[in-house]
Amino acid sequence: MAAVATVSSASGLLAMLQEPAPELKLHALASLNSVVHLFWPEISTSVPTIESLYEDEEFDQRQLAALVVSKVFYYLGELNDSLSYALGAGPLFDVSDDSDYAHALLAKALDEYACIKTRVSKATEEEENIDPRLEAIVERMLEKCILDGKYQQAMGMAVECRRLDKLEEAIVRCDNIQGALSYCINLSHQYVNHREYRFEDDALLAYQIAFDLVENENQAFLLNVRNRLALPAPVPSNPDTGSALQDDQTASTGTGAETAGDVQMRDDTTTPNGNAHTVDPNEVAHADRLTKIKGILSGETSIQLTLQFLYSHNRSDLLILKTIKQAVEMRNSVCHSATICANAIMHAGTTVDTFLRENLVVIHFYLLPLHRIAALAISLSHYGVVLQEWLSRATNWAKFSATAGLGVIHRGHLQQGRALMAPYLPQSGAVGGGSPYSEGGALYALGLIHANHGEGIKQFLRESLRNTSAEVIQHGACLGLGLAALGTADEEIYEDIKNVLYTDSAVAGEAAGIGMGLLMVGTASEKASEMLAYAHDTQHEKIIRGLSLGIALTVYGREEEADTLIEQMTRDQDPILRYGGMYALALAYRGTANNKAIHQLLHFAVSDVSDDVRRTAVMALGFVLYNEPEQTPRIVSLLSESYNPHVRYGAALAVGISCAGTGLSDAISLLEPLTSDVVDFVRQGALIAMAMVMIQTNESFDSRVGAFRRQLEKIILDKHEDTMSKMGAILASGILDAGGRNVTIKLLSRNKHDKLTAVVGLAVFSQFWYWYPLLYFISLAFSPTAFIGLNSDLKVPKFEFLSHAKPSLFEYPKPTTQQTTTSTVKLPTAILSTYAKAKSRAKKDAESKANQEKTTEEASGSTSGKAAKTQEKDADAMQSHIFKDSWTPSTNCISCCSKVDNTAEKKAPEPEPTFQHLTNPARVIPAQEKFIRFIEGSRYVPVKPAPSGFILLRDLQPTEAEDLALTDAPSTVAGTTSNTAAAAGQQGSGSSAMAVDEEPQPPQPFEYTS
Amino acid sequence: MDPKLTEVAQLFARFKAAYARNDLDACVTLLSQLKVQLTKFPSLPPLFQQTPNAVEELKLARDIYEHAVVLSVKLEDQDAFERDFCQLKPYYMDTCGIIPPSPEEYPILGLNLLRLLVQNRIAEFHTELELLPVKALDHPCIKHAVELEQSFMEGAYNRVLSARQAVPHETYVYFMDLLAKTVRDEIAGCSEKGYDSLSISDAKQMLMFSSDQELHQYITEEHPEWEIKNGSVFFQKAKESQPCKEIPSLQLINQTLSYARELERIV
Repeated sequence: MAAVATVSSASGLLAMLQEPAPELKLHALASLNSVVHLFWPEISTSVPTIESLYEDEEFDQRQLAALVVSKVFYYLGELNDSLSYALGAGPLFDVSDDSDYAHALLAKALDEYACIKTRVSKATEEEENIDPRLEAIVERMLEKCILDGKYQQAMGMAVECRRLDKLEEAIVRCDNIQGALSYCINLSHQYVNHREYRFEDDALLAYQIAFDLVENENQAFLLNVRNRLALPAPVPSNPDTGSALQDDQTASTGTGAETAGDVQMRDDTTTPNGNAHTVDPNEVAHADRLTKIKGILSGETSIQLTLQFLYSHNRSDLLILKTIKQAVEMRNSVCHSATICANAIMHAGTTVDTFLRENLVVIHFYLLPLHRIAALAISLSHYGVVLQEWLSRATNWAKFSATAGLGVIHRGHLQQGRALMAPYLPQSGAVGGGSPYSEGGALYALGLIHANHGEGIKQFLRESLRNTSAEVIQHGACLGLGLAALGTADEEIYEDIKNVLYTDSAVAGEAAGIGMGLLMVGTASEKASEMLAYAHDTQHEKIIRGLSLGIALTVYGREEEADTLIEQMTRDQDPILRYGGMYALALAYRGTANNKAIHQLLHFAVSDVSDDVRRTAVMALGFVLYNEPEQTPRIVSLLSESYNPHVRYGAALAVGISCAGTGLSDAISLLEPLTSDVVDFVRQGALIAMAMVMIQTNESFDSRVGAFRRQLEKIILDKHEDTMSKMGAILASGILDAGGRNVTIKLLSRNKHDKLTAVVGLAVFSQFWYWYPLLYFISLAFSPTAFIGLNSDLKVPKFEFLSHAKPSLFEYPKPTTQQTTTSTVKLPTAILSTYAKAKSRAKKDAESKANQEKTTEEASGSTSGKAAKTQEKDADAMQSHIFKDSWTPSTNCISCCSKVDNTAEKKAPEPEPTFQHLTNPARVIPAQEKFIRFIEGSRYVPVKPAPSGFILLRDLQPTEAEDLALTDAPSTVAGTTSNTAAAAGQQGSGSSAMAVDEEPQPPQPFEYTS
Repeated sequence: MDPKLTEVAQLFARFKAAYARNDLDACVTLLSQLKVQLTKFPSLPPLFQQTPNAVEELKLARDIYEHAVVLSVKLEDQDAFERDFCQLKPYYMDTCGIIPPSPEEYPILGLNLLRLLVQNRIAEFHTELELLPVKALDHPCIKHAVELEQSFMEGAYNRVLSARQAVPHETYVYFMDLLAKTVRDEIAGCSEKGYDSLSISDAKQMLMFSSDQELHQYITEEHPEWEIKNGSVFFQKAKESQPCKEIPSLQLINQTLSYARELERIV
């Protein structure tokens, strides 16, 4: 007989609650408290009774009642109610309890508290209305952590809750103050937006902070910081900044995103750095440093360095362009402009326009009638004339694009930008100086050159806009102004653009809409409703489209705040506005992976009646999910098999956007079938998306890259291929080798901050469906993949570091050989690659054992091998497969079985070295970052151990003369053109004697004569 | 014997004495003292700790609660009845044979069933019934309640009323009286639906009132919406006030159409 009796119901206890005697009520409550985990469904029906006990002033155990109610609510999943009753329970709520209930509620309480604290710190005028009980709980929790010796936990919580007093207490009471401080620094690196804790007053760190700030690309914010710096704020900060706590405070107060209130605090972090030297007698040095930091903050320093890097490391493969050129029918204007665009993208930011100058000319000979060849031969040295021939083929809008392409190539050429474009710019007073198309294009190009750094050019663009009434020029000027004044919310510019909009010209209006959006990016200003109203008024679809994109841009990053506007747009009758609504959703929730937004987008993707809206909805998923690229292929995989080609197209681009630059295997697998879709524009989208995903991935990293390159070539060469997919293929080739292969598409900065310019660039880029010139916006998304070390003079010293990986994994793709370009379409290369893959797979199975043995052998053989092996363990599984694959020369050959490899000297039997010395400045692609190690004992020590980006180096031997690298500024003197490849090969070895500050010469002007 | 247990036993003895001499006020005070005392025994539900005196304590506590239930019937206090019964129930259901079954178990369970019937809580009535073992249904007390419920459901109200004469236990009388009231309410509800109007004499007979006075009083208290004129009771107003619920056809059609549409949309 089972003698163990258990209760089957709480009804008895609940009945006891009704008893008149308070003792009985108390007993019932106490018993209920102990069985609540079993009988909460029963008790939940009696919650009102218990609540009334809690509210009964005379009942002396109100807190117990509150605790019981809180538990019931917890089990019901009503965490908010549960928390409020738990607060009512006061000391009865045991923070050290090890139950799920206590854990969940504590987490909730901390969240709530941190949230309130954040709100309070943002809106300073708001009264501090924190529930003292909540505060008490959090304090009890912190106290307990400190008592238990869990200092790290306590510090983490304190930082999150902005309780600097508690943070201080935790650090002071900690037995290991050193450890605690270092943990604290880690913490602030991780959780607190880009901020360094400073222990020594060192200008280097100030520069580093400035670079980090610049990387986050918030123009309005940077301007603000700079203006504050400009004031001679002579408040001498505590010179003894060694006291770490002081630092903690200055630094920690700045937690949070870019809000107005925050600027002040962030400013605090930089100002003392710059000002620390006011106490020094050396005022000059200080002023100098201040100028430098201003230079950094203005973005000029980094842009200039980037420009130099891209120029010196340019490895673009002109043969690819040549192939394209050869294959493309001249009459086909779509492919023609696509080629120009591909060229622009390939050379984005490199300032190298060799293609235009050299190859195109040569190829042109074949295409031009004989008598013109003669003429050309004479003027060969005058490339301007030749270029004129080439560009003169471009008519109207193609000319606009071609000129704008120059802007992409010279992106970041701030000082010389205007001089470069001068020949094409509208001349005031000069009538008929040039075609309006090239003039408009030139203004657009200026915008691209100065994107997000338009202080110097804004005025000029505004004047150009005012002085013209030609809609094409207005078009270019609006785009240019939008780009140059990105996110500055400048009222005057806004008015200027608005005047253009109100002329109700379709062409100018479209650009005006986008321009207004660019100007107001992320401001969520009420201008949006003004724009929306006009979008309803106008008859022109183009204007509506421009405006709806513009409205979407204004809500960039505003998340819930934008919901009303999104709702308004997505419910509109007009499909174009709904389409804008999709963009608004995408941009408002960019990179948040917000479930609600995803849900909404998926809903529109399958239910809207307009194909445009559905396509955009799917594509928008890419923007929402770019912070979790692994998720996107899974979410859109079903959509990529939709019967509707628009949805498939959207799915392709969504993957392309969110997985851009990752080389993610899943993404490639998803896109592969789409590149041979039956519908031409789906192929186009898939090719572009594939290129975005594979950018900077080479064949030895993923063999499919090689196959893809061959596929592109095949499409371009195929006479019967549709124009749409051909255009896709041309653009894809451009993107794949973008920026001389030294750039990637990155939507998140290194400290996981959204890169506004990049996101906005991609969003506008995706509009190319309607308007090809918008293709150039992709250049905004490019960021250089470089390690650039700087000394305290912001010069690039010679500095070596290690990449603990086989060089072949990350090297530039092999240049295509002449042979491949001259030969006609190769044999079915696709079969070759699959065969190779299948074979390598079979071989891998067979050899896996042998490989492992070999690994151990090699590891014992050499120390470097050992290092590589440990490295390998770190790398993820897929990667280590590749490692093993290429471990033996035989498998290596198979997996990289391309025609290039067969012809090249790749046959060398000796194994590749497992590491590689890189010289500052070096190309470090994102996948390579985890292999970067700094050599101990070298002269320079990085201030921040980051594997890429701008890194300040501390010179350990400051007395010795420094050996500078990267002093060769891009020079576009015609004579050096043939040597570009050689120059690129120099790897910035510092052989050139040019000074750093020297700006590259502008290419010689050419003029349109048509 | 445990002193605490002895103390409670003595207190209970005093309670029984008071109960025997029908001193109900004394009973109530003593009972509440007893209940408070009982909370000090850990062997009782919900803890069921295995103390040496567990069996004694459980038996005593059950006895006390059984008396409490009967007392509440005597006091004609339905809330107290429900409270005490709920507290008594674990002793019947959850003791798993630690203590021998009580002789009072079935009469009290039957009483509870009757109470549910009186309060017209038919769903709970059946829930309780399901919890009983099959052999319990043969017990006259339970059987009585079940039969009453069947007659009640069939509408054989005369059988319900005549059952008052054959109660299996003296405590049942109170509830049987209340049942007559429940039956009357049922009849009133049916008449309202069934007739437009009834003559006063018919209504009097139907609702089992001996005088017009009682009928008038009943109508003003329970059904103020009824109207008495020209020697008849009119139910018209009540009907109007309760408009027949329309089938939400439009909504249903819309819903079905939207389902069809959703189904059609293949991703």
